[in-house]
Parts: sequence; C-alpha cells; structure tokens
Amino acid sequence: MITTYKSLALRGIAAGGIAGAVSALVQLLVTEIPIRAALAVEEAREPAAGEGHSHGEEELVSRGAQVVGGMLGVIIVGIAVGLVFATAYALSKRWFTDRTPFSRSLALGAAVFGAVALLPWLKYPGNPPAVGDPETVNYRTALYLGVVAAGLVIVWGASWLAERLRAQSQPVRVTGVLLAVVAAVAVVLLAFPAPPDTIPADMPVAVLWQFRLSSLAQLATLYVGLGVVFGLLIDPATRRTKAAAKVAVA
Amino acid sequence: MTSPAAHLSAVRVPKWAFAVALLGLIVTYLVLQENGLALGASSELLHEFFHDGRHALGVPCH
Repeated sequence: MITTYKSLALRGIAAGGIAGAVSALVQLLVTEIPIRAALAVEEAREPAAGEGHSHGEEELVSRGAQVVGGMLGVIIVGIAVGLVFATAYALSKRWFTDRTPFSRSLALGAAVFGAVALLPWLKYPGNPPAVGDPETVNYRTALYLGVVAAGLVIVWGASWLAERLRAQSQPVRVTGVLLAVVAAVAVVLLAFPAPPDTIPADMPVAVLWQFRLSSLAQLATLYVGLGVVFGLLIDPATRRTKAAAKVAVA
Repeated sequence: MTSPAAHLSAVRVPKWAFAVALLGLIVTYLVLQENGLALGASSELLHEFFHDGRHALGVPCH
C-alpha cells in the first residue's frame, strides 16, 4: 500500500519514462516516416522560401541529431508529465473513489489523453514540417494552450458533477456526466477560432494525414500508457498476483 | 481486496508537491514550447534539437 507522496511521485517518474520511451519508439518507427516525406517537400521548395527554420545545409542541428533529440524530448516530456500526473492522482479526492488504484489511474490517463491530446488534435490537428506560417506561431500556440486548458477544466468539471449527482442512481449519474461532457466539448470546438494556417498546395494530403494519425497514436501511447503503467506500479494487486505466481511456481 | 476507498485518505500531499508539479510543467514547456521567450537566443539550439518530438506530439512549431 502506497501512503506517501514521494513514493507516488517516484512511480510517476518511472511510469512517465516507460510510456515516454514506448512513445519515442512509435515516433522512430511510425511518425518519422511522414516527417521524412514532409522534409522532402520542404527541400523541394526554393531555398529562399524556407526561411526561419534550418533544415538546409547551414543547419544548427543535423537530421540525425533531430531524430535522436526528438525521441529524447518525448521521453523527457513523459517523465515531466508523469510527475504532474502522480501529483494530480495524489490530490484527487473524488476521482472514481470506489475503484481500485489501477482503474483510477487508467481512467485518469484516458481523461488526460482526451483533454490535452485528443481535444486539441480535433480542433488544431498537428502539422508536419513544411506546414505552418512562422508569423502566426505565437497565435497558434495560444489557441492550442487555450484548448488544452479548456479540456482540463472539462475533466475537472466532470468529476465535480459526478460528485454532485452522487444521490442519483449510477445510470442516471453516468448519463448526466456524459451529456455535460459532450455539450462542453461541442462548445469548445465551436467557440475557438478555426486554425489560421492553410495547408500549402505542395503538401500531399496522404502525408499530412499519415503524420496526424501517427501523432495521435503516439500521444495515445504516451498518455494512456502512462495511466496503465502508473496503475500497475501503484496497485497492490499487481504485487500480490506476482507473489502468488512465485508461490505457484515454487 | 482492500476496502475500495482506503487508499484515498492514506496519501498526504506535502506543500513541496506543488513545486514538483510546477517543475514538471516547466520542463514540458521548455521541451515543447520554448521559442525564445524564457532562454533567449540559446533556445534555438534546444528548439531544433527537440524539433521532431514537438511535431510528433502535435504542438505548434513554426
């Protein structure tokens, strides 16, 4: 039984590192394919057109270093998110309180994926290299962070509403929370402005969507994976079954 | 099976936990968003190094 914040935080780091490493592997094997295709599109343009971002000969960081650095970045983000995740888990007082630690962690991981990955992906799907006007990057970043914040508010609000509807029967409570979440997501998707950038004509639609789906797969691996691994690490039932198996083998 | 809610009240969250969570958010920002706001000119190296990861995680890049 885990009773200290420190032990939860250490498991958050471990779970985030593992989920980040698997996500980085997905990046190497899946997402890098459309990224390579997009970089080829970028290179085919006039040298003057690709200003502000160095993929050319006078590059700051070599392509090989960018592939390794990108994977390392995903692992670092995984660890950092794991710490925040463990803290949120430790602070949560109403999140599926009647469930096991594993179920709570998995549900939290899925909710965080929905809030900080799927929702922004739906409104502002990520773009490969060779797409995106550097002039609008700060505006797009603000929109992106706004949707992430709105998603987290929806998750928090859903848990608050579930607590408020405690007196209702479970089917009524679940339906009520689901309706509220659907309504809130619809409002967010309608209220935020459309993405400002147009997709350049030389970017093949197949490459664009291969990239976006790869990106989504990688995000799901990171966040749902974090929920699964953290749940495995904190749930006493994981150890008990292992111990029982050892006894059975002996 | 332990009683379902037994694990809830067991964890006491110290004040420094918020500093830890903040550190996690800052690191995430530095890897995914640093465009020169916090680190100035040296951020471009960081930006280019983490380039593929930022694209892959769907964050606005350039």
